[in-house]
Amino acid sequence: MKILASLFLISGFFFILVAAIGVIRLPDFYTRLHASGKSETLGMILCFTGLAIYEGFNLTSAKHLIIVIFILLANPIGTHIICREAYRSNLKPWTRKEE
Amino acid sequence: MTMDSLFMGLIIGLVVVIFVMLYRVFEGPSVYDRLNGLGVIGTDTILLLVLIGYIDKRPDMFVDIAISYAILGFISLVVIAKYIGGKGDIKK
Repeated sequence: MKILASLFLISGFFFILVAAIGVIRLPDFYTRLHASGKSETLGMILCFTGLAIYEGFNLTSAKHLIIVIFILLANPIGTHIICREAYRSNLKPWTRKEE
Repeated sequence: MTMDSLFMGLIIGLVVVIFVMLYRVFEGPSVYDRLNGLGVIGTDTILLLVLIGYIDKRPDMFVDIAISYAILGFISLVVIAKYIGGKGDIKK
């Protein structure tokens, strides 16, 4: 059970690391939002699932699953709201022709 | 390898990720980039709090703090985004 939990934790941290590299390296605001919207959510879901497996079956693992459901709802909603407000204030997407 | 050393390694990695993300907060071209970096920092801090709880052998208390931190971070992100945006042209 510990091996499965550490496997979930390490794979989740890999996705969090990919999200951080994407937010730093990608060329445009919308592409950076794409990196932080999906990869971050998947990494957090994997990490908290691993912690719930490590904890066993009690109240703390139920709270870990509550955090999983909340992140699964809240992180894409926050990304969507930032993206909509940026599009409303005329932030143009990055294209190759402008270079 | 025990689980405590894995948790400590994940804590060190998350702190490194948060410090890397501060670059995007300080140097972002638009104000929305800064907001995005702050959102990523807030999401990472939830996991950091729970891992600190496992190091401290009291995960049942730190999980409650992490839940309230997640709710506060989401609400503040939505409110700041609605406050900044929709006011015409882009602000640096």
